[in-house]
Amino acid sequence: MARDPKHDILFEPIEIGPKTMKNRFYQIPHCNGFGSEKPLSQAHFRAMKAEGGYAAVCTEYCSIHPESDDTHRVSARLWDDDDIKNLSLMCDMLHEHGALAAAELWYGGPHAPCMESRCVPRAPSQIPSDFEHLTYPKEMDKDDIREVQGFYVEAAKRAREAGFDIVYVYGSHSYLPQQFLTPYYNRRTDEYGGSFENRARFWRETIEQVRDAVGDDCAIAVRMSTDMFMGEAGTQLERDCIPFVELCDEIVDVWDINVSGISEWGEDATPSRFYESGRQLPWQGAIKAVSKKPVLGVGRFTNPDVMVEAITSGKLDIIATCRPSISDPWLPRKIDEGRLDDIRECIGCNICISRWEIGGPPLICTQNATAGEEYRRGWHPERFEPAKNADNDVLVVGAGPAGMECAMVLGKRGMRRVHLVEAGEDMGGGMRWIPQLPGLGEWARVVNYRKIQIDKLKNVEFIPNTKLDAQGVKDYGAEIVVIATGSYWATDGLNGCTHDTIPGADASVPWQLTPEQVMFEGKEVPGERVLVLDNDGYFMGVSLAEKLAREGKKVTLMTHLGHIGPYMHFTLEAPNQHRILHKLGVEIVPYHMPTKLEEGRVLAAHVYDEEGEEHEFATDAVVLVTQRRSDEALYRELKDTVGIEALEAEGITGLYRIGDCEAPRLTADAVFSGHRLAREIDSDNPEVPLPFKRERRVVEREAVLA
Amino acid sequence: MKVVVCVKQVGALGDEVEFTDDERDVDPDYLDYALNEWDSFATEEALRLRDAGDEGEVVAVTVGDEDAEDAMRRALAMGADRGIRVWSDELAGADPITVARALAEVVRAESPDLVLCGVQSSDAVQAATGAALAELLDLPRVAVVTKLELGNGTATVHRELEGGLVDVVEVDTPAVLTIQTGINEPRYATLRAIKQAEQKEIEVREPGDLGTPAARVRRMFVPPKGEGAEMLDGDAAAIAGRIKEIVDERMKA
Repeated sequence: MARDPKHDILFEPIEIGPKTMKNRFYQIPHCNGFGSEKPLSQAHFRAMKAEGGYAAVCTEYCSIHPESDDTHRVSARLWDDDDIKNLSLMCDMLHEHGALAAAELWYGGPHAPCMESRCVPRAPSQIPSDFEHLTYPKEMDKDDIREVQGFYVEAAKRAREAGFDIVYVYGSHSYLPQQFLTPYYNRRTDEYGGSFENRARFWRETIEQVRDAVGDDCAIAVRMSTDMFMGEAGTQLERDCIPFVELCDEIVDVWDINVSGISEWGEDATPSRFYESGRQLPWQGAIKAVSKKPVLGVGRFTNPDVMVEAITSGKLDIIATCRPSISDPWLPRKIDEGRLDDIRECIGCNICISRWEIGGPPLICTQNATAGEEYRRGWHPERFEPAKNADNDVLVVGAGPAGMECAMVLGKRGMRRVHLVEAGEDMGGGMRWIPQLPGLGEWARVVNYRKIQIDKLKNVEFIPNTKLDAQGVKDYGAEIVVIATGSYWATDGLNGCTHDTIPGADASVPWQLTPEQVMFEGKEVPGERVLVLDNDGYFMGVSLAEKLAREGKKVTLMTHLGHIGPYMHFTLEAPNQHRILHKLGVEIVPYHMPTKLEEGRVLAAHVYDEEGEEHEFATDAVVLVTQRRSDEALYRELKDTVGIEALEAEGITGLYRIGDCEAPRLTADAVFSGHRLAREIDSDNPEVPLPFKRERRVVEREAVLA
Repeated sequence: MKVVVCVKQVGALGDEVEFTDDERDVDPDYLDYALNEWDSFATEEALRLRDAGDEGEVVAVTVGDEDAEDAMRRALAMGADRGIRVWSDELAGADPITVARALAEVVRAESPDLVLCGVQSSDAVQAATGAALAELLDLPRVAVVTKLELGNGTATVHRELEGGLVDVVEVDTPAVLTIQTGINEPRYATLRAIKQAEQKEIEVREPGDLGTPAARVRRMFVPPKGEGAEMLDGDAAAIAGRIKEIVDERMKA
């Protein structure tokens, strides 16, 4: 297939300073949990995007000095020569694919807790971080300023030596240069504070010094947030950013424009729950209007028509993507080849970001099970080894995310025949109704992508409306059977707080409901008042509370936790979700666990009340979001009742289970589980994951002891 | 109850199409092949009729070369008892009348209680083979059947008409009925059934006298794009307003 000519502009080269990008696709800096200390994972992860057509690929934020140590979170680092060695691998692999390599030089100031280095970060003013707990910076005097500017220069030289083509002086997300520019962080009264010229001085001088040091060899990029959404105190477009671009346009080769500060950076890394693609375009266009230099920026772009529009309407020159490049590292190549329905579009769930926020584990992606697995498991998102046992027929029971992914990958691995058999009338499992929760429409992309792929695979057949029992599975004629029957929400109040059921909980009565009863089975929520009990802690409880409140119910949201939906802090969804629930008048009751459910009321006690005093919450209905349970009846019957020997007698050589059927989990992990089994279906024991390569220092014992 | 069901392997177009050098057909490299959708409903209906009685047989018949056996095997995997494939090189690119002549000979020899065809094939879309077959066999014919009930020597069938109308017809059997999609829900073949169908022998027969072709394809081409398309710009309300204007204008004219 060929590229649609209307997308040609995306493939025009563009000059940035001394360098040329071969097209308009740019992978914006983003974390992956690899940094400089898992260099092979880092290099292979980034190189996949270069292979997929990106013209420039950046590191995550890259610390310039031990004073900017973000541990517990993982950043790249260019502290010394060994870091040069490790990151040069990434540069070399990018260059092999004709892509430029970029390093986002970063000094965090008070936001860097320095938990490994135990250094003291420096900042314009001595105010503790609004993002990190208990980190106080040292207020910089003039010597400090010179010294830290020197850190930038030395790190830029190291970046050049490593092979980076583009070096950043990174300010966005409230890091040091932008702290100087922003009254919220900068309360100085000397020539580095106060007036615009003074607040701009540190950043301008730093850019100048970095440019003097490496500007002949490297393009100089500046990443700036153009609105912190905090009124006068924050950076403002008209007052600060447009003048800053006018002041520095000559010494900057490319502007990377976004919005938000750090404490609510979900305003930049926008969850699809609240924002559509292209949210930052008005600000990016405002900068483009005053700059003579190329402007790039993110907007969770997955649709090439929107990308073209961003360029032709004069808002951007270069399309930067972060999450869409994780979801599909081959996004540019697929657009180039006219294979638009092969694009795995980002769903904006921010599960990738959650891993950075948690502080260090490798990133994961709901859509792309291979993200982060390029090196350690050797998985390529677009290439699939023919299975050694491809002459087998496979039966996959259950077409939820795990079953769909497994069937798709088995199909791509060339299994003779794969039958994906589903009791319902369509694919998707829980994802048939989860996207109908408020704001989650884009999550349906999990189903749509796989449906299209499965439809294209001649060796995979989808069989709906067919509920197989153990006998049916046994007689089906497959050599390999994969059970992916998913999970269901507990109907008896079983939960992870008390590890017990809740007295009176029973979703078979009209006034008690599980999430799927509300969303999928059409069970009516009676009365005006409803209490949503959330012991799950992610999106389900709060989403149902929002939905029911929008439908006019008086909603009480009770949780044993201290916060509602705590995992949504990691996905950056929490702040706006709180705002919505507050505006809708949802009553939030944290730290409470029901002791008894009765028609008309819930009795509950504070979880830290040793006396266990019961409080009454009057309600007409209760929605039980307590915990999920695996729907493993079919698997158990096959394994325990029919038995492996009887299955073997029918020619069934493998019986496996994947996804929620094994244990309920994040959709990303359910998809991974299906993918993993399919990738390893020809291993000695596909049930147990093959070991992955671990990047760690192995002690050379003899040398140490000597 | 013996039912003959006539099935066809059809080609489905992908995103791109090229024609053969003689411009009389689509280049097979650009086609995916499958059992004609209407024929899967006809097969299912035949299987239900067979299974409703004490004994019976479903015989699937197709006209096609060896590659066309895949579709036949799908019918066998669904549960058809036997398959007969009719072929000679003369049948390449044959018109529906010629195909019906090839089928008629086989069907006559089977002397079934009922003959089912799909209404049409999804690739040629002529809806002619079933009608021609009935004529050649001198059997009554009912087209576009959406419901079928067997009586004693008769069948009561619902015939789909335009505008949602249904014509209820009683027809003497044997008869040729062309089956519409939606009359039933075709069963899926299990892997076991597919494997068993692979082992079944398909009887291959040469056609008798095929007579003079009734039609032949002279040229196949992509029609030139029409002119005068008007692209509508603006927000949804503006576009909707403009569409209403255009409709109003055309309604007057």
